[in-house]
Amino acid sequence: MNVFFSGGCKNGKSTLAERTVKALAGGDPLYYIATMIPHDEEDRIRIRRHVASRDGMGFITLEQGTDVARCLDRADPQGSFLLDSVTALLSNEMFLPDGGYDPDAGERAAAELRELAARAKNVVFVSDFIYADSGLYDSYTETYRRALALCDRTLAEICDTVVEVVSTNPVVYKGVLPL
Amino acid sequence: MVFITGGAYQGKRDCAKEKYGLRDEDIFTCTADSAPDWDSRCIEHLERYALYCVKNGLPIEDRSRDDAVLIGDDIFCGVVPIDVTERTWREETGRFYGRLSQRAASVYRLFCGLALQLK
Repeated sequence: MNVFFSGGCKNGKSTLAERTVKALAGGDPLYYIATMIPHDEEDRIRIRRHVASRDGMGFITLEQGTDVARCLDRADPQGSFLLDSVTALLSNEMFLPDGGYDPDAGERAAAELRELAARAKNVVFVSDFIYADSGLYDSYTETYRRALALCDRTLAEICDTVVEVVSTNPVVYKGVLPL
Repeated sequence: MVFITGGAYQGKRDCAKEKYGLRDEDIFTCTADSAPDWDSRCIEHLERYALYCVKNGLPIEDRSRDDAVLIGDDIFCGVVPIDVTERTWREETGRFYGRLSQRAASVYRLFCGLALQLK
């Protein structure tokens, strides 16, 4: 089963997503797909903090900053996976470490997400709803927003359950939340 | 009249085409430089028409047909804009959408390609 969560920041998406993936896993392997690629000490500190906060939750961490479906090469596809977040994954695909920029990253990331959802038994996806402000952005940011919307809409189409999280409350647009 | 709203890139236009059998040539796309063709069956990006009105000191009107499908981006969830024109635009667009929703027989909100019927 695949579940998609989105919503504004600090609304409780990650907490609900963790509960959901644990409920889906039962006693089967539980994987956390870590998307952050550290570039400096600040990033490394943030990662250590995230690792510590997951300590004792039973997750096996898979580091996969790009080409997300490749994480299945070293995991049991019959396990349950938490991908938090689609937003970070797309940033890695679009804004390259050498300063380069790939305007087609959205199509590539959407295809990888589709493959992950198809091959793994259970995947819970977390994304960010960044589409409802009045900001007038530069073309890079606008391309990124359009690309993230492509990923989100791809996932919303193929996932069994689609949920917007509002102040920790789930609003179910499709399917049933398995909690 | 039907009003469809939601964030940018969420599938509002696709929803209008699918639900009401519209073709691309039925859809008028607003700009911030003029009023729409009110005879159109479907008018999208009404937030841009609202910006045109705010920039030119004109009242924001709704002169659409009875069977119109109207589409506007949700632009309301960010930080309050510092620029007075942008701020006025955001506020006036919000009030405008409220009037459209009152008149509409149906109102939909699109989220990641999925339509939630609000009215």
